[in-house]
Amino acid sequence: MERTVTIVPEAGLHARPASKFVETANQFEAELQIATEDEEPVNARSMLGVSSLGVEHGEEVRLIADGDDAEAALDALEKVLTTPESEYDE
Amino acid sequence: MSERTLSGTGVTPLSGVGTVVWYDQDVELDEPHAPEDVDTAAEQARFENAVATAREELQTERERTAEKVGESEAEIFDAHLQFLNDPQITDAVEESIDEGLPAEHATREGFQQGIEQLAAAGGRMAERTDDLRDIRDRLVRILADAERIDLSALPEGTVLLAEMLTPSDTAQLDPETVAGFATAEGGRTSHAAIFARSIGIPAVVGVGDDLLGVEADETVVVDGEAGDVIVDPSAETRERASERRDVEIRSDRVETADGKEIEVAANVGTLAELEGAVAQGADAIGLFRTEFLFLDREAPPDEDEQVDTYVEALDAFPEGRVVVRTLDVGGDKPIPYIEADEEDNPFLGMRGIRRSLGPDAELFETQIRALLRAGAVGDGDLAVMFPLVATVGEVEQALDVVEDVAGDLESEGVDYAMPELGVMIETPAAVFVGDALAERLDFFSIGTNDLAQYVMAASRQNEHVADLHDPSDPAVLRAIDRAVEAAHDGDIWIGMCGEMAGDPDLTELLIGLGLDELSMSAVTIPDVKANVVDVSTADARTLAETALRAATKDEVRAALSEDT
Repeated sequence: MERTVTIVPEAGLHARPASKFVETANQFEAELQIATEDEEPVNARSMLGVSSLGVEHGEEVRLIADGDDAEAALDALEKVLTTPESEYDE
Repeated sequence: MSERTLSGTGVTPLSGVGTVVWYDQDVELDEPHAPEDVDTAAEQARFENAVATAREELQTERERTAEKVGESEAEIFDAHLQFLNDPQITDAVEESIDEGLPAEHATREGFQQGIEQLAAAGGRMAERTDDLRDIRDRLVRILADAERIDLSALPEGTVLLAEMLTPSDTAQLDPETVAGFATAEGGRTSHAAIFARSIGIPAVVGVGDDLLGVEADETVVVDGEAGDVIVDPSAETRERASERRDVEIRSDRVETADGKEIEVAANVGTLAELEGAVAQGADAIGLFRTEFLFLDREAPPDEDEQVDTYVEALDAFPEGRVVVRTLDVGGDKPIPYIEADEEDNPFLGMRGIRRSLGPDAELFETQIRALLRAGAVGDGDLAVMFPLVATVGEVEQALDVVEDVAGDLESEGVDYAMPELGVMIETPAAVFVGDALAERLDFFSIGTNDLAQYVMAASRQNEHVADLHDPSDPAVLRAIDRAVEAAHDGDIWIGMCGEMAGDPDLTELLIGLGLDELSMSAVTIPDVKANVVDVSTADARTLAETALRAATKDEVRAALSEDT
């Protein structure tokens, strides 16, 4: 299962948005990956992998999920990537 | 051997003397056994146990840091915890174990790929490699069962030396027992430096490789004011260094011997420093720099984040005032997402209010919105000041922005409060039109570092003209005198937030010049407060008049030393 999402947080997928993304991925059983146009997909649970992608605000990424809760996982990850940083709860 | 001096960057104007303890976390590992002799399953289990131990340590240190230094400093541990669980790294380590490496060697190898990958990502990601190295070294230390120096239980009179100190290291230091620390690496804004300032430990950073030649058990002086580490100090040097720490901290407001109240306030550059300001007895915040909110990130902080920060500062001084300076970038302070052209003379170019009224107008408006909103929520009294003002026109434009923002908030039904509004007096131009500025504002605050730079036409950055760049030069003193006169004729208050205000030797002179408020690094507050109560305003005025008549800096110094 795949989905393409455009990154909303101003900081791109770094720092807090990246942490939030990894945290969210860890809540699901499915195998989850994230890919940019020109890089190999990386494990969505890897802070190292996710932050090395260097995804900026406005860029498109591909989310790939495989497993029982794949759809729910994609929904949750999409939500992280499309929420401005200022609206994070905490 | 006779005394020798190593130079670095001083981060607190305190000095201390003590015995060297080296903090060295590098663990040397033996050559690994042949792969066929390694019990792979046992090594996997050791690695898992080490990860669990590291997690516990990190959680404890996170709590301790949040409590002692602040929540934002503690967040660094969240990144470490996340890397500790990173499947890409743990997979790489486990693969190396499967290939026959013992767990500690496999850890080094497994992390190496990640470190290289992050370093290759460049820019800000490259900075995270330090986090990864930190985690790696922690795991290796646990696996090798290497001794860990308990930094929270160092013997009294220790001077800690290290190549560098991480936030988790510094958070454990007890200012009651540690006489100071010095590091080979790091700058004024490193975590270790910020921590040293917030709790008042003598500290020198960035000494370089020379520091590595200092041996354990040697006696050294850490002079955080001069930025020196003095090895094998003479009796005289020692005595001078140990003198400075016995000053009483007074949290009450102080007045001169004849009853003029002088507000003694702190300059603060990060939220972590607020606590130190309270601890050293500051009456108020006389300069809250906002640059830290904008540095080291890839996009500006939004309005809500700024509101939270300003409210936190206001809540730290419920009975006092917090003077927030609007964003002061340009010149020597580049920020990645703020576009700035290369300039031949950056200090005479686009900086301070000039940027806020020009290319950074949008950032400025957001900051003003956040400030007006915070003023309605926070406990203390908010004041806002603009940096590097040269003309009345700039002030009128800035005041218009504040008016417009207040109008917008009003029509949106958002709560806000109008702060006191003022300017930094940093340019000769602002001094000369001081009367006109005073008519339009509630206060002035003199920035002596820049004022001296511009009055003397001597760059702060150029060591060849460092001698010219001195706030006690008669030319600078006369500029200060004129600014004070303009403020008081216009019935507004005037403070000083440059380095000069924190020099205890100048307290009487500054009171004589008529300053109502003095704002400085938190650590010098006790010394300055102690001096204020000894001053009589009549004597201070006589001293100031003598200094103002002086023709040379030497004559000013002579007047000061005659007085003591």
